[in-house]
Amino acid sequence: MVEQPMADLVAVAWPAALLVRLLTVTATIALARRPAPCRWVALGGSMAASVLTVTMAAEVIVSGQEVEGVLFQHAASGIVFDYAVTPLSAWFLMVLGVVALPIALYSAAYFAHAVAASRTAVVGVAFNVLLGSVEAVFVATGVIVFLGAWEVMTLATAALVATEYQERANRLAAYLYLVMSHIGTGCLVAAFMVLASRAGATSFPAMLAGDVVSGPLRDGLFALFLVGFGVKAGVIPLHVWLPEAHPAAPSSISALMSSVLITAGIYGLYRVCAFGLGVPDERWALALMFVGMLSAILGVLYALTQTDLKRLLAYSTIENSGIVVLGLGASTMALAHGQRAVAAVAVAASLVHVLNHAIFKGLLFLAAGSVVMTTGTRQIEQFGGLLKRMPWTALFFLIGALAISGLPLLNGFPSEWLTFQALLLGFTATPGLVRLNFPIAGAMLALTSALAAACFVRAFGISFLALPRSPAASDAHESPRLMLVPQAWLAILCIALGLFPGLALRALEPVIVSLPGLEAAGPIAAGALGMAPGISSFDYVYPAIFGVAVLGALVFALSLTARRGAVARQVPTWACGGALTSRTEYTATAFSKPLLMIFKAIYRPQRQVDALAGASPYFPQEVRYRAEIEPTFERYIYGPLVRGVVRAAGAMRVLQAGSLHAYLAYVLVLAVVLLIWLGGTP
Amino acid sequence: MSADAMLAIGAALLQAGGMLAAAPLLRTAIKKMKARLQNRQGPPLLQGYYDLAKLLRKETVRSDTSSWVYVAGPRIYFATVVAATTLIPVLVAAAPLEATGGILLLVGTLALGRFALATAALDTGSPFGGMGASRDMTIAALAEPALMLGLFSSALSAGTMNLGVLVRELVLQGPSWHPGDLLAFAGLFIIVIAETGRIPVDNPATHLELTMIHEAMVLEYAGPDLALVEWASAVKELVYLTLLVNLFLPVGIAMSLEPVPLLVALVAWAGKVFLLAVAVTLVESTNAKLRLFRVPELVSVSLGLAFLALAIRFL
Repeated sequence: MVEQPMADLVAVAWPAALLVRLLTVTATIALARRPAPCRWVALGGSMAASVLTVTMAAEVIVSGQEVEGVLFQHAASGIVFDYAVTPLSAWFLMVLGVVALPIALYSAAYFAHAVAASRTAVVGVAFNVLLGSVEAVFVATGVIVFLGAWEVMTLATAALVATEYQERANRLAAYLYLVMSHIGTGCLVAAFMVLASRAGATSFPAMLAGDVVSGPLRDGLFALFLVGFGVKAGVIPLHVWLPEAHPAAPSSISALMSSVLITAGIYGLYRVCAFGLGVPDERWALALMFVGMLSAILGVLYALTQTDLKRLLAYSTIENSGIVVLGLGASTMALAHGQRAVAAVAVAASLVHVLNHAIFKGLLFLAAGSVVMTTGTRQIEQFGGLLKRMPWTALFFLIGALAISGLPLLNGFPSEWLTFQALLLGFTATPGLVRLNFPIAGAMLALTSALAAACFVRAFGISFLALPRSPAASDAHESPRLMLVPQAWLAILCIALGLFPGLALRALEPVIVSLPGLEAAGPIAAGALGMAPGISSFDYVYPAIFGVAVLGALVFALSLTARRGAVARQVPTWACGGALTSRTEYTATAFSKPLLMIFKAIYRPQRQVDALAGASPYFPQEVRYRAEIEPTFERYIYGPLVRGVVRAAGAMRVLQAGSLHAYLAYVLVLAVVLLIWLGGTP
Repeated sequence: MSADAMLAIGAALLQAGGMLAAAPLLRTAIKKMKARLQNRQGPPLLQGYYDLAKLLRKETVRSDTSSWVYVAGPRIYFATVVAATTLIPVLVAAAPLEATGGILLLVGTLALGRFALATAALDTGSPFGGMGASRDMTIAALAEPALMLGLFSSALSAGTMNLGVLVRELVLQGPSWHPGDLLAFAGLFIIVIAETGRIPVDNPATHLELTMIHEAMVLEYAGPDLALVEWASAVKELVYLTLLVNLFLPVGIAMSLEPVPLLVALVAWAGKVFLLAVAVTLVESTNAKLRLFRVPELVSVSLGLAFLALAIRFL
């Protein structure tokens, strides 16, 4: 009897959530002139809708039962807006809800400072529209609804990126985002049209049954979908919009983009590329693995040299997106060789990383938002000593930094651990030369996670430790409690999922079962505490139990050094005889310099030092130093592309000269050509 | 609590305690051998213990610009290294806490300690800490892929990533003398030198500001804090050497907990670690420290060796 009301609730949860969002949007617009209530209505409504979707998603995952329904039906035209919450959709919905809730709460306090009063309503509406459309993308069962929601999602994000439209850089970022997104959407529309015409239907179950297309056409469609979804997933070389758009948006929106928007691209790669076009081809798997590896390694390398905190986090998003795609690639490779159990492990690795990345990146962006709000700058070189001024934010950022570096006891570790398992199992399960991809990918993943650790030691250490490097940093103060609570929630999730990785993995089991071609050899989770991908006791891990050992050793260390009544003597740091000021501290640029030099083939660093000589060349009055790394993709891929498009547009202008006679002539010529062409066919 | 769990906890305590007790001796032995090669007398063999005892008795002095991160750094570093000793087989062909994880957990745990120490180094405001942290993380990042590939190569040949299971499997198979093993061993030996801060990658004896790596990172520590760092570094070195000898030459390792095999295992382990220590000393005495920007070349040699080891084993 208790089951029934729950099932009823779940059946209407998504329409209800959509309704809540629509009402919220209406109320937000109505309250546009009163910023404070407007803000609370917009974000409170968003939280209510998120609670509904998370409840529904959790129920679908627990019961393994899909929820289907029809939102709108037009009998005459035959248009049906229906939806289905499959276990895969439910997983993505849950990821979205888990981070959207704290982000909305944070925004309620943050927007009061970060968004102009006159823009509150616009941002509130866009926030809800973005979340609603991403949810619609996840549950759409027809290509029309899917693409419609996809486009709304793009536009809402662009509006949010352009929140501070007064700055030219932000407008450019929004424009770049729109252009790149529409290149992607164009690919998607083309590919879906081919697929729909072959399938004779516009519903996903028919189009993505896997037997619709074959041969080279299938490969072509895969490539189109890879580009289309890859743009949103932010994988290299389609990533150019990401490091521009993320810093331009308000910080909580950046968190939303990194945790939510990226997953929409990942969802597409899953739904269509890997599990919608039939048994994957080996070449697809190679493409996915290559793109994943490239994104992971280049993403973290670029992140390492950034001095803008939010740009750094944006590049790190590219890296993590790469790790997710690498897991997906390993899974398709296993599927291409018929290794269903290995594919299941790889899918688990990749999907758990989607969740974990959303959590720790959300946390890092929120903490960065607190820092940017109080200091008014995003430059790491201007920070320093923030730990003493904002202790909680510092603690939360540190937890996020540890998690993103893939260190044990936090939630980055389980997903990287699983990805390694997938790669090693893939190596043992595939034949021939192609298996060597797996250890190469493993080595790349090891390098990526070690570089991520270096990157976040730098980001945390330079920003939060030692002495403040600017007046902005020394005047910094802690954020209001309302902004700390969401960070605390995400930090607790980082620790909980790090100690009990089995929790997330158990939730994944119905998702894995629901995907075509996968077959778990056994449970991947070993209770709530551990993970054991189950193939002939290859490897397993129980972080929480090992954590007790670490804790024991820590207690021993403390007992070794603790002496009753002894207080540590505080003395100034030795500064080689001079005064210790912020200028003697190591800078972020200096920190990453060795790696910049070692990987200079990739960075191609350029620097310019100008000394303005005074009376003597040995005592310059002023030294100007400028260093930059070459934006390889922007310069060598997108530069020629843009120039080509502009040139082509210039050439086309000859045709559109504004002369009515010429236009009439075009119509005539076209009519004649069509008559000849169509007249030729019987 | 089951008997197995009690046994594991007891073994873990004994093994961690044993490694903690033996590690300072290893450091001093290498110092002593190095001194003898240079026609010096060198320190007495127990010097490591005297130093630790003295440092632990001293007053705690800390920088006034630092925060709790600076205090936490050495403690977390020490805790992770000590916990890591329970993940590797030493005398018995089983790791005390092998039920909690394998190679990836070991590497991750050591990385956690490194993260803690490098972060703490940035807390004093002195440029040396930052310089050391930057270089230490750089070298660790470069060494990581080679370390992983080298470990994968032995793990995949035994079909397990768990160190306890792996060593038991190796003992059952007997020494293979496969050329792949030799390549992987050579690759890992280079990584062990890099990870433990030995010449030609780092010089543990220097305090010359521009050449320090690890020493620069911990330059500001004094008294008990420094004792923890020094002790943990010594244990870490012993962990790496033990891992190397037991992965590639598990001769004499005890397969049961009876006194005689254990005694044999103790002698065998001490002998093998001593031989490896001699090798480390010889490398340190006959080479000059590499310029920082030459280290990547050395590490890529190791990466190449590890990859070749995998390739010739499985193709």
